[in-house]
Amino acid sequence: MKEYALLIVSAALVNNVILARFLGLCSFMGVTTRIDTAVGMGMATTFVITVSSMADWAVGAYLLEPYNLWYLRTVTFIMVIAAAVQFTELTVKKVSPPLFQMLGIYLPLITTNCAVLGVAILLVEQRMNFIEATLFGFASSVGYSLVMVMFAGLRERLALADTPRLFAGPPIGFIVASLLALAFMGFSGMTS
Amino acid sequence: MTMGGAVDDMTDFSAPTLTEGIAQVVEVEGNMAWLVPESGSSCGGCSSAAACGSKGIGTVSSRLEARRFQLVNDFGLRIGERVVVGVRENALLRASITAYVIPLATLLISGALAQWAAGNDFVTMAAMLAGLVFGLWLARVRAGQLMAKGELSPRFIRRASMGETCNS
Repeated sequence: MKEYALLIVSAALVNNVILARFLGLCSFMGVTTRIDTAVGMGMATTFVITVSSMADWAVGAYLLEPYNLWYLRTVTFIMVIAAAVQFTELTVKKVSPPLFQMLGIYLPLITTNCAVLGVAILLVEQRMNFIEATLFGFASSVGYSLVMVMFAGLRERLALADTPRLFAGPPIGFIVASLLALAFMGFSGMTS
Repeated sequence: MTMGGAVDDMTDFSAPTLTEGIAQVVEVEGNMAWLVPESGSSCGGCSSAAACGSKGIGTVSSRLEARRFQLVNDFGLRIGERVVVGVRENALLRASITAYVIPLATLLISGALAQWAAGNDFVTMAAMLAGLVFGLWLARVRAGQLMAKGELSPRFIRRASMGETCNS
């Protein structure tokens, strides 16, 4: 149980997908202008990363490894992720068309989110078992959502702040992102 | 999806804030108007954003077509008009929780229970699949409840001014 807790803390905070591994930066800057869109994107990404981590682990363990096809892992995982996103989109549409109308905008963005692919490649390279891979995917995506929401809150405040004209908009956003990354460096050393 | 036509009292500062978007009227049938949202991505880019990475995925027109919604046309809307519509911010949060958190929670709980009871990867995978299906059923029930309360319905706020975009 202790190793699972350490795995979760490590994936969510110490090796945060955005601020330590620098994955998913396009959505980090693009979808964080408002808290509500950041929350929507974060939850959708959490669902997709967790489901695709499980699927990627299964494909890796039962297809790529037995047939010695590891060199195809990137292409295979991209296909699995695209299939997971399509599955999610179709399922939400079938389960509740109004929910799809409200939330469907986030799903196409996830297909091109490198954080999803990065997590899949990391979990197979670290030779995790199934439950570890699922927890790693879940914790990584929770860390992603946490940073997205924090940064969106900061940007909403920055929009009201009296910023010098040259720094207004994305430049001050990048500066705040770097300070946030420095703050997250404080977690390093807690776990490996 | 049939929308109520009530406009929020904007002077009531205690009321929950609205997330706004721009939609275009594409069809008018009697007292109902069909609208298509202009937003092509969640980044806030819309018809004003010429270069959007998400536009290359699938066909934008088919996605927007799938997101058509209906409003009660109490405001004399005509085809081609652009209007500002909104949903309550907490409605977005509830919709996200319903669609993603409920299925994910049942998936993880069933997987954890199966791992604890059986300790076998195949059993855990099967339990997670069953948990996901159960979670989707729960999400469907919850979405039905939210829809019955009208919480998933966009509201008409005002007509969009000339050149107004979702970024302005």
